[in-house]
Amino acid sequence: MKKEDTTKGNRYGMVIDLDKCTGCGVCLIACASENNIPVMYDESDKTRNITWLQIYMVTNGKEFPETEVIYIPRPCMQCDNPPCVPVCPATATDKDPTSGIISQIYTRCIGCRYCMAACPYHARVFNWFDPWFPEGMDRYLSPEVSPRMRGVVEKCSFCHHRLMRAKAKANVEGRRDLKEDEYIPACVEACPTKAITFGDLNNPKHKISELIKSPHAFRLLERLNTEPKVYYISTKNWVRRMADNYLSGEFKDRS
Amino acid sequence: MEFNRRNFIKFAVGGTGGILLSPLPWKLIDDIAIWTQNWSWVPVPVRGKFSYLNSVCTLCPGACGIQVRKVGSRAVKIEGRGDYPVNQGGICPLGMAGLQILYNEGIRWKAPMKRVGPRGSQEWKEIPWDEAIDELATRIKGLREKGSPEKLAAIDGNQSRSTMALLIKRLLSSIGSPNYMVMPREEDTYDMVNFLMQGSRGPIAFDLENADFIVSFGCSLFDGWGAPGRMLSASREWVKNKTYLVQIDPRTSNTASKADLWLAPFPGTEAALALGMAHVIIKEKLYSKEFIENHTFGFADWFEEDGVKHKGFSRIVLEKYSPQVVENITGIKGRVIIEVARKFASAHAPIALAGRGKGTLPGSLYEFMAVHALNALKGRVNKKGGPLIADDIPLAQWSDPEYDPVAMDGLKKARVDLAKTPRYPFSRSLVNKFTETINNSHGSPIDTLMLFSANPAFTIPDSQSFIKAMAKIPFIVSFSPFMDETSLMADLILPDHTHLEKMADIVWPTGIQYPLYALSQPVVKPIYRTEHSGDVIISLAKRIGGPVSGSFQWANFEEALKERVKGLYDSGREKVSWADIKENGYWSIPAHSFEGGSDIFQTPSKRFEFFSTEIELAIKAYSKGKSFDDALLDLGISSKGDEVYMPHYEEIKSGADKKEYPLLLFPMELINLASGWIGNPPYLNKTLFDHQLKRDDLFVEVNPKTASQYRLKEGSKAIIRSPKGELRVRIHLFHGAMPDVIFIPFGLGHTAYDKYLKGKGVNPNEIIDQVEDPLSGQPVWWNTRVKLIRI
Repeated sequence: MKKEDTTKGNRYGMVIDLDKCTGCGVCLIACASENNIPVMYDESDKTRNITWLQIYMVTNGKEFPETEVIYIPRPCMQCDNPPCVPVCPATATDKDPTSGIISQIYTRCIGCRYCMAACPYHARVFNWFDPWFPEGMDRYLSPEVSPRMRGVVEKCSFCHHRLMRAKAKANVEGRRDLKEDEYIPACVEACPTKAITFGDLNNPKHKISELIKSPHAFRLLERLNTEPKVYYISTKNWVRRMADNYLSGEFKDRS
Repeated sequence: MEFNRRNFIKFAVGGTGGILLSPLPWKLIDDIAIWTQNWSWVPVPVRGKFSYLNSVCTLCPGACGIQVRKVGSRAVKIEGRGDYPVNQGGICPLGMAGLQILYNEGIRWKAPMKRVGPRGSQEWKEIPWDEAIDELATRIKGLREKGSPEKLAAIDGNQSRSTMALLIKRLLSSIGSPNYMVMPREEDTYDMVNFLMQGSRGPIAFDLENADFIVSFGCSLFDGWGAPGRMLSASREWVKNKTYLVQIDPRTSNTASKADLWLAPFPGTEAALALGMAHVIIKEKLYSKEFIENHTFGFADWFEEDGVKHKGFSRIVLEKYSPQVVENITGIKGRVIIEVARKFASAHAPIALAGRGKGTLPGSLYEFMAVHALNALKGRVNKKGGPLIADDIPLAQWSDPEYDPVAMDGLKKARVDLAKTPRYPFSRSLVNKFTETINNSHGSPIDTLMLFSANPAFTIPDSQSFIKAMAKIPFIVSFSPFMDETSLMADLILPDHTHLEKMADIVWPTGIQYPLYALSQPVVKPIYRTEHSGDVIISLAKRIGGPVSGSFQWANFEEALKERVKGLYDSGREKVSWADIKENGYWSIPAHSFEGGSDIFQTPSKRFEFFSTEIELAIKAYSKGKSFDDALLDLGISSKGDEVYMPHYEEIKSGADKKEYPLLLFPMELINLASGWIGNPPYLNKTLFDHQLKRDDLFVEVNPKTASQYRLKEGSKAIIRSPKGELRVRIHLFHGAMPDVIFIPFGLGHTAYDKYLKGKGVNPNEIIDQVEDPLSGQPVWWNTRVKLIRI
């Protein structure tokens, strides 16, 4: 397979500093309210409920009082080599070459869920039911994002409508390029500890390009070569070791 | 035709081929495809013009700035306001999910309601506003005519200095009732500490952004303590400035995980730990000599004028709280205590914070004093990076209310909750004692109870007792916008607007280090037939008539608020007008004034008091006519001598037998689970893990060692039994939980609200076996002895 040139165009990515993240859940709620995500009676059914950005809680497994807990917010990794794209029989999901964002076209999706099986990050969710908002709550739905129907797969879009909004504004002002903070997803904007940094990985002037050079930066399941554009930072060794299936002695201590 | 194998195959093949050639299968497949796409309901969001409105979130006294995105007349998204000083763009999960409170039809009262069936039957009749206010006015007039206005009581959940709270208080006093109560909160304990040690009333502010060493004695700094938006913003400053954080917590909370050092003393022994640190600081002479000598009272031994010798704080601490002794009490190694104390003492700007959880419930008075004593030892009071004595916010005072003879007589009567009486001299309000008095009396000393912004039937520790007391009160009026547990037991509902539909203010948000007045404005027009409770009170007062009406000279709530706010721009300290404040959403002086040396302390000695003269006076007054030892016993104080007037460690007693109830139930508060009077919105349910809530089962955190003693595995079902009752839960094994302690979250187990909340989990308040905190009388809610039963 011909390797795609990822140095051209924008490559939007994220760096999440797990040392700063307190697991408060604001990113998840900002995401849900920005993207018209429905709610179920039983949100504890994690195989059926809808969340684009999931938060995982992990502990270092040590006994009291040595225990440590960290939280890993997990949006779609927007991989440069997305495993979900080639498996889609309906071409409902694709990588946008100008932004690097993996799109999902709901009306094209046939609900076969191959992409869900292919995604190693469990970033995709399936609508088992019609979207449901408790009585009266359809009044806060945003017209920027269409609610999804039953039987389709959906996932984090890096708030693509915000990119469209920013581009439209830039066009009106006669600019071609966006400023660094002109386009940021809702979760990044909402994070009260500013643990998430967003920017263009192809732009060396963006803060994110500097951050990913940190020896403490890593990605989830890096060795699958999916090339995620979501990076994490943690100064804790046990956290970085947990991010991939290392053989014993293979993990390199970078502290 | 003969039926044989050959013919059968011919028939089958022919039949299959025939059906395939017919349009039938293709038509059916097509039909199925169309049928499955007959989506029953996919909403189409209405388009409209985008606009942004600034306001303030008044769901808690943190008062974060919010920006609301609107499409047409609908609010579609809440975001944190970046240009607002408190939260600087950050906002907590509950604030973010605010629209689910506004627009959730299933949880809101849509009009004034009158109960028609028996109490609790949920048979209601919608009535016009006029009729509803008239009914309450007639009842209050009746009480006043009978000469017993004190039979009216109010429980208020509004921030204590807000215009709404002042208005309710004013209503009660002009009618003639002393029974104005506030929901118990941590602020009460801080208010007492401030009064007893520093001589001023009101909460204490904390300059956490400028501190470089923070010891938090149980405050869940990242789990909703203080103003959550501000605390989460502060955490980035701490990462940047390499601020050292010591978290004291019996469980690996989020804050404990983020801290540089986590200490887990046995719950309730925090005071001993603080005094152990004080011991090291005093012994090694690491305290601030300048502050101790010039600005404190009671540090060294002293003689009274009549020659009586008193032991100083330093001597008592040196005698009683050596690291070895404290190790035995707290379980923290003596060398760790020494190390932390030395680090604290050598830091440039250290600060010690007392508290427990989110700070929505009160703490122990002596414990808070012990922790605050650490700040005084280092002379940090009112210094940059230290605990601050709040500057004055120049709000204008309303003229005094008018009192007629009925009101004057009523106000002289004792409070039903016994607060501010010789027995509980320092507490402003004690809802737990209110409950007890009603339950212990033959009829009810209260005829009409009004509830504002509070849901005590759910949030009060030992809620079952409160519910029992409610059943005895003849008439209950709820001003809640929500169909919560308390309002479902009321007789009359006068629903308020929600926070996004009304103007409200918060005077100095919790713990903020500079003076700030926050003002919210309506973001959307009221969507149901609700009325601003402030307006309702004014109109109620007018209908009661006489001097009550004269005390409420304003046409509506906004006018009353405006009169107070006028003081801000009249003060001339910041050049602003009403329009500016309304548009900005706040008035603030950017920095605290660190002026005023010793005159900041308003105690009888005009110094910071390690030995509290006020406690001495109060105990003297209380012990009149009885023996001193009996008086102490009554007040719940077990120590003797001069220690009684100083910060010291009191073992919190429990009525339950330790053998029968070997475990401790420790309720915890999570930032992503609303546990106050606001019900948890559905979006917050999304953030709960399935080891916290699974279907309707709530999980409690238990250390694997403790669980194995009871042969409990991950997910096992169990019963937690306390002397007050029992709860059915499931077990989550968590290494971060202290052995022999069961950690249970507050906020679930609703019996009201809609099906997204009702019946999910259990409410620990139901089985909390509260005891009284010595001296303050506030409920101790974290010391319930329980047993665990496998089922």
